[in-house]
Amino acid sequence: MKRPAILVAVALFLLSLALIGYRIIWLGYPIFPAAPGKAWQLTMDAHVKGGENEITVMIGLPYTHGGEVVVEERIRSGSLNFNLLREGQNQVGVWSGVVSDRGEAIGYRSIIHMRPRRPLKVKPPDLEPYPEAVENAEKALAKRLVSNWNRLSPPARLRAIAATVTGAWGTPPPEAQDLRQWSTFQQQHGRLPALLLLLRAAGLPARTVQGLRLVESVTTNLLTWVEVWNGQEWEKLQPETGEIYRKPAQLLPLAIGKVPAMRILKGELSEIRWVLSQQTISQWRIHFERIMRSDHFLDRWSLFRLPPEFQRTFRILLLVPIGALMIVALRNLVGFPTFGIFMPVLMALAFRNTGLAYGLGIFGGVVFIGYFVRRWVDRLRLLLVSRLSVILTLVIACITIFALVGNKLGIRQFMAVGLLPFVILTMIIERFFVIMEEAGIREGLWTAAGTAAVATITHEIIHLEPLQLTFFVYPELLFAVAALQVLLGRYAGYRLSELIRFRRFRSPS
Amino acid sequence: MIFKAFHWLHKAGILGMNRRNADYIMRCNPRSAFPLVDDKVVTKHLAEGHRIPTPPLYHVIEHHGDIVKVEKTLSDLHEFVVKPARGAGGSGIILVIGSTTEGFVKKSGEVISWVDLSYHMSDILSGIYSLEGIEDRVLIESLVHADPVFDAVTYSGVPDIRIVVYRGVPMMGMVRLPTRASDGKANLHRGAIGVGIEMSQGTTLTGVHHSGIVTHHPDTGKPVSGMQVPHWESMLLMAARAFDMTNLGYIGADMVIDQERGPLLLELNARPGLQIQIANQAGLLSRLQLVDKAPSDIFATPESRVAWARQAFVFL
Repeated sequence: MKRPAILVAVALFLLSLALIGYRIIWLGYPIFPAAPGKAWQLTMDAHVKGGENEITVMIGLPYTHGGEVVVEERIRSGSLNFNLLREGQNQVGVWSGVVSDRGEAIGYRSIIHMRPRRPLKVKPPDLEPYPEAVENAEKALAKRLVSNWNRLSPPARLRAIAATVTGAWGTPPPEAQDLRQWSTFQQQHGRLPALLLLLRAAGLPARTVQGLRLVESVTTNLLTWVEVWNGQEWEKLQPETGEIYRKPAQLLPLAIGKVPAMRILKGELSEIRWVLSQQTISQWRIHFERIMRSDHFLDRWSLFRLPPEFQRTFRILLLVPIGALMIVALRNLVGFPTFGIFMPVLMALAFRNTGLAYGLGIFGGVVFIGYFVRRWVDRLRLLLVSRLSVILTLVIACITIFALVGNKLGIRQFMAVGLLPFVILTMIIERFFVIMEEAGIREGLWTAAGTAAVATITHEIIHLEPLQLTFFVYPELLFAVAALQVLLGRYAGYRLSELIRFRRFRSPS
Repeated sequence: MIFKAFHWLHKAGILGMNRRNADYIMRCNPRSAFPLVDDKVVTKHLAEGHRIPTPPLYHVIEHHGDIVKVEKTLSDLHEFVVKPARGAGGSGIILVIGSTTEGFVKKSGEVISWVDLSYHMSDILSGIYSLEGIEDRVLIESLVHADPVFDAVTYSGVPDIRIVVYRGVPMMGMVRLPTRASDGKANLHRGAIGVGIEMSQGTTLTGVHHSGIVTHHPDTGKPVSGMQVPHWESMLLMAARAFDMTNLGYIGADMVIDQERGPLLLELNARPGLQIQIANQAGLLSRLQLVDKAPSDIFATPESRVAWARQAFVFL
C-alpha cells in the first residue's frame, strides 16, 4: 500500500531532477536563475565619412567566449549594410556601403555578462615564429638577454621579463653592451614589439589584445595589452608598465591577435566612442535571449517563448501548487484548521491586487460585517441558494462601499479588489457562521486565524521573485512539488496538534 | 522533544487523524458503501434486514409540497422527532413531546408553531443541514425515552452510546452525556461529555469534557464512572452486525437505550472521531493492531467477534 506512493514520488522527483540537470549541464542554464549577476552594457557610437566610393568599416566587437556572455546585441547601421564576421577568435562587425556627404552614424550595443569562475578549456597555443622584420642579430640579442631565466617556470619567467619593461634586469645583470643595444632596439621599434620579442625568445607564446578596461567609462581609445601563455592560461600584461593584471582581469577583449580592432577601407572613421556602464540584472535575462535563439527542444518549449503579457500569469500560476503543498503540510503535519481546502490559496491570489495588509483588512472587515448579517439572515429562514445570494449581494455592497470610501480617502488599495474575491468571501462568511454556531466561537476564530495565516504564507510564497523566476525557468520543478505532495499524502504519523490533544498520553504513566 | 512526544503517543497506542484516514478509513471503507451510512433512511431500512432495531419510522418527506400533508398526522402523533436524513453532528434535529393549540411543544419546553416547524422541514429539504449542501429528506421517527440509568448524569436530552467497530470487531465504546453547554445534544464538540466503557463488563470509566478528563457531570455534579451500561452485550452485537450490514471496515455505531424497546441504532458514522480514546484513556491503534493479528476464525460470526473483543481488550 505504501510502496507505490513512494515509487511515484521518487519517479516524479527524478524526472524533475533529470530535466533540470539536462538544462544545467547540456544547455548551460544557471543553477540559480534569480541570482543577481553583474553585467556591463557596452555602447559603441561612431561616425563614418566617405566619398563616392563604397566604404567598409570593420570594428571588433565582444564575443561570447568562456569568460563572458554577450546578449541582447543591437546594431545601428543607418543606410549601410551590416554583417557579422568571425575572424579567428574575434567577432567583427562590418558596416559597408556608400555614405552621404553628411556621413552616417553607426552604433552597437550589448549586455555583457562576465563569468570569471567558469573553467576554461583552452588549447595550449603553439609558439609562433619570429616576426619577419626581426633580424638574426636581434634574435640572438633577445635570447642572450633572457638566457638567465631559461630554467624558471613559465609564470616566473613571464614575471622576470615583465619586470624588464621598467628596467629591472635582475642579478646578475646582462652585459652593459647588450643592454645598450636593446635600448636602441626599443627606441627603434617601440616597447611593445620589444616585449613580444623577449617573450618569444624566452619561449612563451604571447599575443596582443585590444579592448576595454571594465570600468564605468567613456573612452575614445582602446586599450592594448599583451596576453602571455603561462602553461595553464593566458596572463594579461600591461606592456607600458610591465604590470601583470590581477585575476580576474577586468578587461573586455575586442580584438585578439594580429587583427586590429578597427579597420577602415576608403572612408574615415571619426568620433568613435565606447561607453561602458555597469548593470545588475538577474541571470535569467542573460539566458532569455539565448533561449529565444536556441533550437533545442526544451528551449523552443520554454515559457520564455510565451507572449510577455501571459508570462506574468504563469509566473504566479506555477507557484500556486507550492501554496497547496503548504496547506497539505499545515493541515496534515501541524493540524491547522482552515476554511475549506483551497480557500486560503484563492485568498492569496485575491491579495495580489490589494497587497497583503489591505487584503487581510478588507477580508476581515467584510467577514466581520457578513457574520452579523448572516446571523440576522438566519432568522429569515431563507433557503440555501437565496441565503447565499443575499450574502453575496452584501459582499458586493461592502466592497463597493469600501471602494467609495477608498476613493474619498485616496487609498487605491480599497478600490483594487478584483473580481475573484467575492465568491470566496461569500463562502467564508457561510463557513465561518456554521463553525461559530456548531463548534463555538473559539473554534471559529481559530479557524479564521488559520485561514489568514495560510493565506499570508501562500501570498508571500507566490510573490517571491526568486522563486517565481526559478519555477519559470525550470517548470519541471512542478514534478518535484507533486512528489512532495504525494509523500505528504502518505504521512500517517501524528499531527503536531495531536500532541496537545492527546497530551494525557504523552507521559510514561 | 517533539519526536519523543510522538514516540510516547505511539507507545500509548494512540490513533492519529492521518493514520485513521490513510490506514483505516481509506483502506477499509469503500467509497461505494458511504451512501449506506450518509442517509439515515437508507441505514434504517438496511438495519431492519439485519435484526438491528432502530427507532420506528413514521414518515419520510421528500418534497416541499408534501410538508402540508403531514400536519394532521403529526398533531395526532403527539411525540416525534424531526431529523434531516443526511444531517451531521446532531444539527437540525427537533424533539417534539406534545402539541397544543399554538403548535408543538419541544423537549426544551418551548412551543414551535406549525409554520416554523414546516419552515424547518423546508430548510432540511433544501439541504441546509446536509454535509454537502445537497437536497435532503426529512425523517420523522418516534421519540426515544431514554433508559433512566443515566438520568443522574444527563442534563436534558438523550445520552447515546458510540461503539467503534473495526472489521466487525467492537473496539471501544463510550457513553455521550448531554450537558447544559451542549444544549441537550450528545455531540462532544458541542460540549457533551464522553465517558469511556470497559469492554468486557460494560461499566463506565472516566469522562472527557472538551479535551480535559472529568469524573463528575458538570451540571448534575454526580460521578460518571462505575455505572453499568445496560444491554451491553446486545449493543456490542448490534455494532458488530453493522459491519455485515454495510461492509464498512471502520465505523462508529451510535445507539440509544429506550426504556421500553431497549438499545436502538441511531446512525452509523464512516469517519468516527478520535476523542473516544481520551474518554477511555486508551489508544485505538494498539487494539486495531491486535485485531489484525487475531486468528481468522474469530471473524466468523458477530457473536464470535464480540466474545473475542470482550476478553482481548480487558487490559488494553
